[in-house]
Amino acid sequence: MKQMAQGLAAKFYNIFPESIRLERIWLLSKTDFKIRYSASTLGLLWAFMYPLVRILIYYIVFSFVFAKDIPNYGFYIFSGIIIWLYFQESSKSGLRVIRMKRYLLENINFNRLDVFYASILTSLISFIVNISVLIFLMIIMGITPTWKYIYYPIFIFNLIILSLGVGLILSTISVYYKDIKQFWDLILLLMFWINPIFFAKQKIFNMFPSLLYANPLAGIIINSRDVLMYGKEPDWFLAAYGYFYAIVILLIGLWSFKKFFHKAIEKV
Amino acid sequence: MMKEDIVIKLENVSKTFTIREKVSGNIFQKSWAVLSGSNRRKIEAVKNINLEVKKGEFLSIVGANGSGKSTLIHLMTGVYRPDKGGKSTIIGSFIRLSLGLGFNAQLTTRENVYLNGSVMGVKISELNKNFKKIIEFAELQKFVNTKIKYFSRGMRTRLAFSVAVHAHADIMLMDEFFGGVGDERFKEKSDKVFNDAFVSGKTIIHVSHSMETIKKYADRVVLLHEGECRGIGSADEIIDLYRSTIKVEKSRRREKKQYDQQQ
Repeated sequence: MKQMAQGLAAKFYNIFPESIRLERIWLLSKTDFKIRYSASTLGLLWAFMYPLVRILIYYIVFSFVFAKDIPNYGFYIFSGIIIWLYFQESSKSGLRVIRMKRYLLENINFNRLDVFYASILTSLISFIVNISVLIFLMIIMGITPTWKYIYYPIFIFNLIILSLGVGLILSTISVYYKDIKQFWDLILLLMFWINPIFFAKQKIFNMFPSLLYANPLAGIIINSRDVLMYGKEPDWFLAAYGYFYAIVILLIGLWSFKKFFHKAIEKV
Repeated sequence: MMKEDIVIKLENVSKTFTIREKVSGNIFQKSWAVLSGSNRRKIEAVKNINLEVKKGEFLSIVGANGSGKSTLIHLMTGVYRPDKGGKSTIIGSFIRLSLGLGFNAQLTTRENVYLNGSVMGVKISELNKNFKKIIEFAELQKFVNTKIKYFSRGMRTRLAFSVAVHAHADIMLMDEFFGGVGDERFKEKSDKVFNDAFVSGKTIIHVSHSMETIKKYADRVVLLHEGECRGIGSADEIIDLYRSTIKVEKSRRREKKQYDQQQ
């Protein structure tokens, strides 16, 4: 069994014979993931537990304490919250990554951006875990997939670009201002509540229409949910706007990283 | 343009650190110190160094503690950027080896070897081939699946050196790396690597207090004193100079002490 897995892995590597860089990013993120869960006894089970417990709490609180006017509310929350969890995790790991990978950055020359790509990929592994929980939920609820699901990766890619950009910017700022960590927790808390994760999107955005455009996550959450839950055609204007937003942030992130990174190891 | 056989070049390289010190006093005094910048202090760790290292050379750096040796290594690798006006160039892949660094303590030997090797640009298929050799060189056959955190200093040193040797780094920068590893058998192996270094074109930068190793291998030695380069030359020459600077420093301190006591 193990040999078979290794054989498969070897085949996988041979697809990219010359891409040492891809191998490196994959190894970095794989070990990241291992370190995160290997220290605990239940291991990978925690990766499933955390989002499940979280959604259960929200579901109970919001559907019993507040009046609910959204059908399939559990699925509604979950489809929003997995996007949110990805953003939260990858942006927070951007704050840590230089400190965590210092032992490599300090001693060996390689493309420094690789550690960021790896941390984005690590969060993507947890995202895939969450998606599998979502599929499980879909089967229980009896939701049948539609061909519109092919649009879903478009929004996930948008999310990845956005998270990478935000992570780069945060990591640059954290070199100079350690307080950014606490500040970012505050911002995340705020963002969590202004995003259409629990609420019907009309409720917030009819009150504050500008929030839809000021907040880069809102469009991604709305579109991906429309596709996944309602089988609707996505709002293409909102999607284009989301991509534009994310690319601008990524470019700022790459620029700031290039300009200020050398200070990072000196100061960490 | 650099000449072809030069792999490290430092031109007018200086490094100044700005450190912040904790201010005692009430909250107004503290915030005033932060705003006015009076809690900052500049420390010149390395001053105006010019140096060229050839391919295949074994260069040693000596100097007392705090003379800027480690800073100089960081400047060579580009981890630190030199102050304005200075320029540091390094050509080829390198690895910096220092005590207890370079590994993640939470990972096993196997995982660390693969991770470090891959980061250094070695293909996984090649690592698969060389894995046994790496472990045998480090003499860690019994600890392949053990987490590094249980390792002694000597075991870590052996593993790091083995990975560096087998990953074909062009330049190895050793920052007091072998300090505390007195294992005779392993010493023989590392000696062999040092001897072969010139043949295989490996450049070695070596910071050490071990005059014995320096005398044996160093092609050139650099003496640092309080961040300044006091001399570059052959091992015997510079070691004599180093010993005399220490002596001068000691007698100066003694005189100062006597002077202070008399006052």
